[in-house]
Amino acid sequence: MASNPFGSLPGMNPFTSFWTDFFSKMVAAGITPATPPADMAEQLRRSFFDSMSKYCDEFMRSEAFLQAMKQSMDNALAWQASMNQYLQKGLQAAQMPSRADSEQLVAMVRGLEDRLFSRLDSLAERIEKLEKAASRGEKTERTRSKS
Amino acid sequence: MSTATQMPWMMAPETYLQPWQDFYAKLLAMPKVIEVMRRTRVGATPTRPVYREDGLRLLEYETDAPRKYRTPLLLVFALVNRPYILDLKAGKSVIAHFLGAGFDCYNVDWGTPTPGDRHLALEDYVLGYMDHCVDVVRRRCGVDRVNLIGYCMGGTMSAMYTALRPEKVRNLVLMAAPVDWSTKDSLLALWSDEKYFDIDRMMDVYGNAPAEWLQVSFQLLRPVANLVEKWVNLYENLENEKFLEDFFAMETWLNDNIPVAGEIFRQFVKYCFQRNLLIQGKLTIGDERVDLRNVRCPVLNLVAQHDHLVLPSQSTPFNDVISSTDRKVVSFPVGHIGLAVSSKSHRDLWPSVVQWLGERSEPLTG
Repeated sequence: MASNPFGSLPGMNPFTSFWTDFFSKMVAAGITPATPPADMAEQLRRSFFDSMSKYCDEFMRSEAFLQAMKQSMDNALAWQASMNQYLQKGLQAAQMPSRADSEQLVAMVRGLEDRLFSRLDSLAERIEKLEKAASRGEKTERTRSKS
Repeated sequence: MSTATQMPWMMAPETYLQPWQDFYAKLLAMPKVIEVMRRTRVGATPTRPVYREDGLRLLEYETDAPRKYRTPLLLVFALVNRPYILDLKAGKSVIAHFLGAGFDCYNVDWGTPTPGDRHLALEDYVLGYMDHCVDVVRRRCGVDRVNLIGYCMGGTMSAMYTALRPEKVRNLVLMAAPVDWSTKDSLLALWSDEKYFDIDRMMDVYGNAPAEWLQVSFQLLRPVANLVEKWVNLYENLENEKFLEDFFAMETWLNDNIPVAGEIFRQFVKYCFQRNLLIQGKLTIGDERVDLRNVRCPVLNLVAQHDHLVLPSQSTPFNDVISSTDRKVVSFPVGHIGLAVSSKSHRDLWPSVVQWLGERSEPLTG
């Protein structure tokens, strides 16, 4: 038996399994050359889309795709990082504010906000304690004056 | 008209005329399609903002329906899309069910993160924004505890909040909320694996998670359905006005993406997707450890059986780790978004959810 010349090509197994799955779905749906049903076109389309979806899902879980996705992401990040650096230098040279400057400003304002709120909270606690102490003192005075 | 022809090798005329007739009918329907597209409006129920903090708005839904419950309802959606999916249009509004039943309803609109928001973390969202919104609702309604409904990532955050502030939550309803990423069955969990996705580097470069990148990623989870079948269905239903109204409303929402603040996105991917700390009780938010066993209130966990985004195996384990004695999982045969917008959900699911919540909420007396 002659060996399949295409069988060793990468990605052929999922490809052949997709078409095998598609044709088996067609047969299961009763679509053969001898007995085409009335809504043949729709069933054909349905079978094709189902098989295609399954194939795409399998392919997107494959190691080859995941590595390609990682490589693509790494390249995109490297390009974006270079672009960010280039724009940062250009804006600095032109003495104009950059996104990094505004992010730093926002971080400073948030830090200031946190410190202020924390200080306000501690002041509120102290006032509450003083008010409680004051009201206890008043109660003691009233008790003494009654007796 | 006879279908037999003089020459048996020729097709009957209607065989080749019918498709052309269909095509011309659809062409003639185009002005109607454009008209429906232009008049599409999303958000069925009028709202007014009752609280603002940074970019966040807390929206109160306005209604003429009589109020029957003291315990208000606060809805928390995910950070990756707009929250009006819960009130998309008339007939597809989760909010309408609760308003009609007599609940005060509030929704958290997280707003659109700016580049300056890249440092906002889980602590800022859960213990900051969410806690402040809950306090505002409690004060406005004169109650100690609220009902919380969280959808998707909003459900995960609601679960975290309930574990950290159990004294403020009366009942918790989760909609397709992931809490357990121990299996890599979903494509999203697989793609987020640290072998293939360097989240730290991505956030260092981009700051926030870009909206376009998020949208493309979600579309690629089901490429045939999202990029081919959807448009084939649209072509086939060009003359169906009801279909067009629903289609364009959904498309409005699907394309209304917003970026996600960098630090919270990084924490979600690293600590939840990659290390699965939440279900193990090892996640800390600020200085506090999130222990799901602190959830003691009644819990209704809605799970979408055909969810490709949040698999049922990622949602159902929540009920196994909490301490609530009144807890239930309802598995419904819809997809992730179908929980909120499918006709089946609005007919069969939401009335029972409203009833469940009504039985556990404080009625309005006097």
